[in-house]
Parts: sequence; structure tokens; C-alpha cells
Amino acid sequence: MSDDLRSVTDLDRIIHEPARLLVVTILSGVVSADFLFLQRETGLTKGNLSAHLSRLEEAGYVKIEKTFKGKFPLTVCKLTAAGQKALSKYREQVQNFMKKTS
Amino acid sequence: MEQNYLEIQQRVRHYWFKDGIGEIAVGGLFIALSLYFAGHHMVSPASNAPLYLNLGLFFVLAFGVVLTRKLITIFKMHITYPRTGYVEYYFERQFPLPVQILLWAAGVLFVVLLVVIGRWVGTFQWLPAFLGVVFGLILFAFRTTTSGLMRFNYHAALSVLLGGGLSLMSGISAQYSLSWYYGVFGAWLVVWGVGILATYLRENPLPEGGADE
Repeated sequence: MSDDLRSVTDLDRIIHEPARLLVVTILSGVVSADFLFLQRETGLTKGNLSAHLSRLEEAGYVKIEKTFKGKFPLTVCKLTAAGQKALSKYREQVQNFMKKTS
Repeated sequence: MEQNYLEIQQRVRHYWFKDGIGEIAVGGLFIALSLYFAGHHMVSPASNAPLYLNLGLFFVLAFGVVLTRKLITIFKMHITYPRTGYVEYYFERQFPLPVQILLWAAGVLFVVLLVVIGRWVGTFQWLPAFLGVVFGLILFAFRTTTSGLMRFNYHAALSVLLGGGLSLMSGISAQYSLSWYYGVFGAWLVVWGVGILATYLRENPLPEGGADE
């Protein structure tokens, strides 16, 4: 088996999880998004989304801030530079793997 | 996977247009411009009023653009964010001040250039058609590159047809044509926006107890 194919075993497990992959993909196209938007777009429950966001925050891929927009409280999530880099690397690895196997 | 990635990105971009607030606000700005040009058409050319109105165009535009941006933010804050969530886009970020000044200077230069061309040709009859094509191209480019939403093609088509039609009508002043162009196009955008907003409100009631974590 070539090294290119074997590299799929090195996939970032934090991003590889489907719900977290969806969250980082959404966040990669915007400056920030709040909890409600992410919940609606991913279809996850509050608890589930909270758990995934905490995991991403621990890994340094997402920054979570409690803030206000006007008088509305918001939990705003941003993809960090490390998160952006990890997503790019993940996409590259998956694309390479798909090319070699198709 | 790449296709899914692009689809998700597109879906997130669509979200900004989901509530129709942008169209209502821009439509309102166009209606204000329509009233401005109608005023221009109605005042006596012998008085000082046309001169003051010409000078006032810059302020109408500057005030209108700032007010439109503020209104969009306020409406989204009260209508959209509590229902379906808050998203900050890269295109919503303010340009740095030097870039803002440069953009305004380019805008003023563009208007001056149009006036010079009009004087040189001896008529401003072509102006609605020109504006119709310019806005049409902007909307079409917007549809292909950013929004991907079909309704921007309809807006673009109306802009071109309306501008062209008004330019072909003889016997009416340029100000009167421009007033009609901005008025009809502005009303069209407001009607679309209100329709989209009504659908959005029907489909997205306020979540009970708030969804913020």
C-alpha cells in the first residue's frame, strides 16, 4: 500500500467526526456564528452540539465567546487559525485518498 | 466530499438573504432616490433649487447608504438572530477608513464622469438604460459569485428592461426617467423582500425559552 493511501490513517480524528466536520465546515466560511445558527444548521441537540464545541475548543480549533449583540446574549463561535489549517489538511488528505482509490 | 463542502458554504451564504431584509432596505433607498429625482423634476430650473439639489445628491447617497446598513443590522438583530441565529460574514465587515474614502472618491468621480459625458453628448436620455445595465450586471454577478439565488436574475432582468424602456421613451426629462427607474425598481425590491420576509416569519417562529447555550 502506498504512503498516500496509508496517510488516511493519520486523519485528524477530532475533525473526522461527522458532526464536528459539519461545524468546522460551516465556521470556515464566516467570521463567526452563534450557537442557535449552528444548532439549526447541524440538526444537533443542544447538549450534543455543546459537547462537540467543547471538544473543538479543547483542541484549539474553535474559540467560543459569550457576548451581546445589542441586548441579545449570544454564544459566538469562531474557527481559529489552527482550526482552519486542520480543516484544509483534512480536506487535502481525503481528496488525495479519493483520487488514489477511484 | 468537496461537493458537500461547497454546498454547505453556499447554504451558509444564502442565510444572509433568507429573510428578505436586505432587499427591503435597498428598495427603500431606491425609493428615496426616486423621490429625490422627482423633486429635481418638479422644481423650477430658473430658481436656485436645482443647484442645491445637485449638491445634496452626495449627502442623500451617503446618508442613505449609512442608514440602509444600520437598518439592516437593527432589523436582523430583532427579527432574524432570535429566530434562526447570528452569523457575521466577511463582507459585512467595515472597510478601513482609507479604503472607504477611496471608494467614496471613486463614486463621486464616476458621477462627475457621467455628467461630463452627458453634457458632451448633449442629452442624458441614455442614463436610465446605462444604470439599468450597470445594476443588472452587478446583480447578475452577485447571483453567480455570491448568492446563487435565482431571484437575483429576475432583479437583474427587470433593471435592464426598465432602464432600457425608460431611455427609449421620448419627451420625458432624464430626472423624470431616473425617478421612475428608482421608484419602480425600489418598489419591486420592497415587494419581493416583504414576500420573502413573510415566508421566513411563517416558517421560523421564535424558539421557546431561547436557544442560546
